[in-house]
Amino acid sequence: MGVVMPLNAETAQARTHQVVNEDSTDIALFVRSSQDDMLGWNRQRIVDALLRETFIDRDTAEKISKDIEVTIQAGKVKTITGPLIREMVNAKLLEMGLEEARRMHTRLGVPLYDVDQLLVQHNKENANVPHGPEATNLTLAEGIKKEYALLHVFTPDVADAHLSGDLHLHDLGFIDRPYCSGQSLEYIKKFGLNLPHALSMAKPAKHAEVLLAHMVKFAASLQSHFAGAIGWDAINLFYAPYLEELDDNGVKQLAQMMIYEFSQQAVARGGQAIFSDVNIYWEVPKHFEDVPAIGPGGEYTGKTYREYEKQAQRFAWALFEVYKEGDAAGRPFFFPKPLVHITEKFFKTDGHMDFLHHICEVASVKGNTYFVFDRGDTAKISECCRLSFKLEASDIEDAKQPWKMRYSALQNVTINLPRLAFKAQGDDTKLFGLLTEKIQLAAKAHGQKRKFIERLMSLGKGGPLSLLAMDLDGEPYLKLHKCSFLIGMVGLNELIRVHLGQELHDSDESIKFGLKVIAHMNIVCNKLAESMGMKFVLEQTPAESTAFRFAKLDLAHFNAEAEKVVQGNREKGEVYYSNSTLFNVGAFMSPIARVEKEGLFHPLIEAGSITHIWLGEAQPDKEALATFVINVFKYTQNDQIAFSPEFTACLACGKTSRGLSETCPYCESKNVDGITRITGYFTKISSWNKGKLGELHDRYRNIDRFNN
Amino acid sequence: MTLFTTDDCVLCEQLKKQFDLSAMEVQVEVLGNNDAGALAHLAWHGLVEKARKALPILVLDDSSALHEFGHIESHLLDRAARYGCSVAARRSGKQAGCESGSCALQ
Repeated sequence: MGVVMPLNAETAQARTHQVVNEDSTDIALFVRSSQDDMLGWNRQRIVDALLRETFIDRDTAEKISKDIEVTIQAGKVKTITGPLIREMVNAKLLEMGLEEARRMHTRLGVPLYDVDQLLVQHNKENANVPHGPEATNLTLAEGIKKEYALLHVFTPDVADAHLSGDLHLHDLGFIDRPYCSGQSLEYIKKFGLNLPHALSMAKPAKHAEVLLAHMVKFAASLQSHFAGAIGWDAINLFYAPYLEELDDNGVKQLAQMMIYEFSQQAVARGGQAIFSDVNIYWEVPKHFEDVPAIGPGGEYTGKTYREYEKQAQRFAWALFEVYKEGDAAGRPFFFPKPLVHITEKFFKTDGHMDFLHHICEVASVKGNTYFVFDRGDTAKISECCRLSFKLEASDIEDAKQPWKMRYSALQNVTINLPRLAFKAQGDDTKLFGLLTEKIQLAAKAHGQKRKFIERLMSLGKGGPLSLLAMDLDGEPYLKLHKCSFLIGMVGLNELIRVHLGQELHDSDESIKFGLKVIAHMNIVCNKLAESMGMKFVLEQTPAESTAFRFAKLDLAHFNAEAEKVVQGNREKGEVYYSNSTLFNVGAFMSPIARVEKEGLFHPLIEAGSITHIWLGEAQPDKEALATFVINVFKYTQNDQIAFSPEFTACLACGKTSRGLSETCPYCESKNVDGITRITGYFTKISSWNKGKLGELHDRYRNIDRFNN
Repeated sequence: MTLFTTDDCVLCEQLKKQFDLSAMEVQVEVLGNNDAGALAHLAWHGLVEKARKALPILVLDDSSALHEFGHIESHLLDRAARYGCSVAARRSGKQAGCESGSCALQ
């Protein structure tokens, strides 16, 4: 509701007298409503809104409306809008001490100035969001939903903890969606592309290219129902039954199409490429060996997946050939991220060394390869920047019907660890007590998000999450009862520095104390999981913007303590905390020492961890990297590693060169952009937030550490 | 030297009864839902995944680890002899629990 009206009263007093004696509907005022309409002034609308949206009584609502009417008429405003009237009512509620009613009557919105800035300036909260009209739509919508979430989904204590920076509720702008999704291609192979509210439905694909088209469209649909990553399990294996009709050129063409389709999908939500991951196996995973294969037309082929090993390997090899070439300008593809599982069986499968050299060459040349280590009997599906879902006994049972295999984390909440150390002032008991409190608060936040999503899901196929409610296999696509709830951490390294006066890489004692902090988090999560019946698991938060946000907030509110430990360049505002349990990115450590020592934390962080090895301009031999990967698998506990080279892309001549340069080595243009891995994916450095720019500057590059 | 155990493990309990571990300078770490220090110690030795499969685990002074019950018992017998410690009689019969994997880090 809103008003545009000329006021011609002589005095406020006279006007007051006049107003109280008039029928308010007769006043010649016009309301500029939020429904694109001009309405006549009617005080009753204030009353109606107060009675509809709050619990105050009618008499009070009448009184407020009359007071507002008097104020409006007594003022000299020439135009007035609905939002202004609402805020005037809110001010009145505040004045009357009716805080709860004011909160319920709040209007969510964005200041004109902010919208103007958003439309012009690039929002760098997420480097995967480009700048454009779709992106600003996304940002504006996210802004409103974020406000809604903090006011209406979460209780004030949880919201305040987020706003103050004690913890970070990720993806508040996507409050009405789960966090991320991992699934099997078998779902669309079996059921076709049959989405709720779609204008047409497609039967199961008969050809590989059609299957790819279905996969891409399904991924785009999922992207609009999940906040984060969309992962695909054993992608090369599940494509295999479609590949028999293709020669090697055809398989390469398909691989190329898949990678380009996902890397060029910058036309979907907010102009944002789908954050996509493809899990790849050289061997046929044990849990799929005897599973009947689904082939063209959604029909069983009469074979098991064990018999498709060679076809699956052909596709895996072709995918990495494409990754090695890069895009038309020789740049690395940003998506889909290829996650290769290194398992015990990998080393027993023919051709594994050739394949390992192949993917290590890609890791060295373009950096794409993620090496995911599944030791012993562990099986998992990985996605996002490092998230993984370990398959439990029931999941292995589901693997007999792989279309049932789908996993989701509902939300991610990250705890600001350095702040706990500031408050504990060297007292262990206090530190662990505060940590427990914050984990409990994170668990409470998860309970509130679950309740909200349950409410949306209860609306079923007619509700906003109809895609997640679809039940083609007899169960909703989103299996809420199996969802994980992620609890992450930022700045373990700085916590240690405050508490012990050393960083993680400085001594064994630091590492041991760090392990105790994470062990405590693990134990508290387990206890809460048991008592609340929710699957709380630790994850190394990617913290692309959270590491920056926490550092900024601590510099503002805990300046004396924070300025001693915050990393980066404070003069430039390029400040950050070390990500999750990672050691100082600038620490002078051999890559194997970093992998080994950071890896000690990984078994305690069950939903995924990673160690980055920054290569800079180095391009190690594939043999050296292969040996390194084997040693990591055999002799460390590390969960996942990635090698990250750096590139300079020239926007003038279009060529790509190795390393980060301010000018193009080919044409000497200064119109260049850097490319490297930000947290768990490659992207352009021009889209990075200031915190990550600070980290980039500090990263220790393993230039001469491998035998090239 | 550290013996990682749990409270409800039959084999772990047997070792504790059989040997005077304290006198043999064997530290006992009980892994449960309350001791972050013990879990951190386990993680320091890179044994979390192993412990999720089975306990007890004995970590020797050179940081190598024994996982087989027979090897652990044998090593402790040798150490008891060196320390001049008495060893209680071992209960005979099949021990339930550990073999089924139920005695492991949860």
